[in-house]
Amino acid sequence: MQNFIQYTVDGLTLGSVYALIALGYTLVYGVLKLLNFAHGDVFMVGTFVGYGVLQELGGPMNPKVPIWLLITLVTLASMAVTAGLGVVIERFAYRPLRDAPRIAPLISALGVSFFLSNSMQLLFGATPRNYDLFEYHGGSLYLRGLHIAGVTVPLLRIITIVAAFVLMVILWFLVNKTRTGKAMRATSYDREAAAMMGIDIDRVIVFTFILGSALAGAAGVMFALRVPTNVSIGFIAGLKGFIAAVVGGIGSIPGAMLGGLVLGFAESYVQGYVPNGTQWSDLYVFSGLVLLMIFRHQGLLGRPDIRKV
Amino acid sequence: MKKAIGLALAILATAIVAASAQGAPKASAVATAKGYNCSKTITLPFVTPITGGAGFLGAEQLSWAKYAVKTIAPQLHLKVKLVGGDTPVEQGPAPAQTLAQKYVGTASVLAVLGPSTSGAVAASTKTYYAAHIAHISPSATRTDLTKSVGGTLEGTPAFFRDVPGDYIQGPSDANFMINSLHVKKVVILDFQEPYSLGLAGAVDSVLKAHGVSTIRLSAPNTTTDYSAYVTKVPSDADIVFFPTQKPGDAQTFAQQLIEQGKKAHVFGGDGSNDSSQFKQPGSYVSNFAPDITGIPADAKLIAGWKKANPGKSVGSFGPPSYGAAQIVMTAIARACHAGHGHATRTAVLHSIKKVSIKNWILGGSFKWSTKSNDPLNAKFYIFQIQSDGSYKLVG
Repeated sequence: MQNFIQYTVDGLTLGSVYALIALGYTLVYGVLKLLNFAHGDVFMVGTFVGYGVLQELGGPMNPKVPIWLLITLVTLASMAVTAGLGVVIERFAYRPLRDAPRIAPLISALGVSFFLSNSMQLLFGATPRNYDLFEYHGGSLYLRGLHIAGVTVPLLRIITIVAAFVLMVILWFLVNKTRTGKAMRATSYDREAAAMMGIDIDRVIVFTFILGSALAGAAGVMFALRVPTNVSIGFIAGLKGFIAAVVGGIGSIPGAMLGGLVLGFAESYVQGYVPNGTQWSDLYVFSGLVLLMIFRHQGLLGRPDIRKV
Repeated sequence: MKKAIGLALAILATAIVAASAQGAPKASAVATAKGYNCSKTITLPFVTPITGGAGFLGAEQLSWAKYAVKTIAPQLHLKVKLVGGDTPVEQGPAPAQTLAQKYVGTASVLAVLGPSTSGAVAASTKTYYAAHIAHISPSATRTDLTKSVGGTLEGTPAFFRDVPGDYIQGPSDANFMINSLHVKKVVILDFQEPYSLGLAGAVDSVLKAHGVSTIRLSAPNTTTDYSAYVTKVPSDADIVFFPTQKPGDAQTFAQQLIEQGKKAHVFGGDGSNDSSQFKQPGSYVSNFAPDITGIPADAKLIAGWKKANPGKSVGSFGPPSYGAAQIVMTAIARACHAGHGHATRTAVLHSIKKVSIKNWILGGSFKWSTKSNDPLNAKFYIFQIQSDGSYKLVG
């Protein structure tokens, strides 16, 4: 039972980060039908921004502000910078290709991905960066927390999970309860019709990139709070986020959330319970996901692509 | 008739072209038999992870090799240009193979530094050997690169290393666990790449032979969060032996052990020897090099390197890279001397094994073993991480 709870907590932590990344993919795909493969590297930039701000605020050993404020400021700073980065990427790498064949922006996205990872290495080197939050108050963020059936759920994991869910709720509110969100949904449904109804498409797309990239920045901080980051981390993180988005049904916001959690839980339980699961977790998990996609092409919550003939 | 003559001429022309093509290597061989003109700039590639999770390794190694080139090449009257060849550990052996083909085709390359990782060596050494290019690794420690293991020898006579292999590291680490830590149960986590698998296997066999209970786990080398692996560590395990090439991952594992209330300490191999990243007090780490800051004869050299690399601290991967560059350049200089200003790759390859160095950067003197392309009388050192993050020599 203890192990089950531990694996569940692990899955929830992993899954909530995957979900935040997946949301960025799904938002952009929903509005632009573009697979933004630079998204993983925006996530990576977010981890580095968070690291820089953390150091500026005294680091975990000598924080200049209370720890809750420190983590909040680090997250907000990362979100702000990555949101700005998203705007720049959209303006210079995607907008000029908006009417080009679909393959062109895809190549542009891959180009931006390499540009970001190589530029970051040029600027900051290849040495991994560790937030070192274990150093805070003798590891209290790791050692204190909720006790459930003999398992301690550390504060840092609780922070990660709660922050991710709060951000998802805010996103849901923005998309479903605001005028801009309504414009996003309309653009996603039919861009040309939305434009004819007076919706400023450029503005909607920029806002979508702001939202998606800010979520990547937040995910970056949530991730790097617990494990070291480096300039190449974006590839794997982006891949997992993309898979989560597809599994959930790309273009569907609840789908991205669900896809992230499904992927997180699948990885954790397979590693925990399947024979040789730690060794071959990717094989087991992705075989399962292939089967899922065979039987449900549109993903868990995606809409089937119905074409009238 | 005209057609027949035309056909005959075409066949003749084809034959001439084919014959001259056949003859081309011979002409080239005559040209290369004299060798490369040593007054020209010699390209010295260093194949190491420059990007990716082990990028820190390449950065440190390159900085020391660069310093060796800067200070030693002029003394040997050589003009050497050091170039980095990137082999990110996440991409497996493919980049090493591609780079080897590139360097084989570059006339100014007489020898190569690296590859730094065992997997990259295994993937490329046959290519270097076929072209008679000697290559020296300052950090690839897998045993079967220089010695046959179960009838398998991955290395070639063109491969050398100036650090001892896992045939010393594995037993050293295991014997330390048995004799000094008195372990009863050890978890061994490999990273699914050649270096890690080899070292994990070496430690596992010695521990088992001494009646220590071992549990094997295996993680893909793209893993970032080890929570599920930590959950599988029994609460009565004494040590988790984790030979990774990413010191930050060893640190993460150690912290997640504490997070889950496990008493086991992490024991890392040479790949995790980096006090800026792996610093969890109580953990252990082994390495092929001592802390050279404690060697008085190296004081001037360290001061020079620090001047060239302001703000950087001396790690354990850099000094053997300096040594490897020193050996390679000495061998090239000797081959040039013997060839009256010209050196072939074969001559350099033959002269590598004859190099010995009196004031070796890792202390004492350097000589090759007569039995393999390993250093003579080399040993591994075991450190325990202290509460201030420093490494204390314990074995």
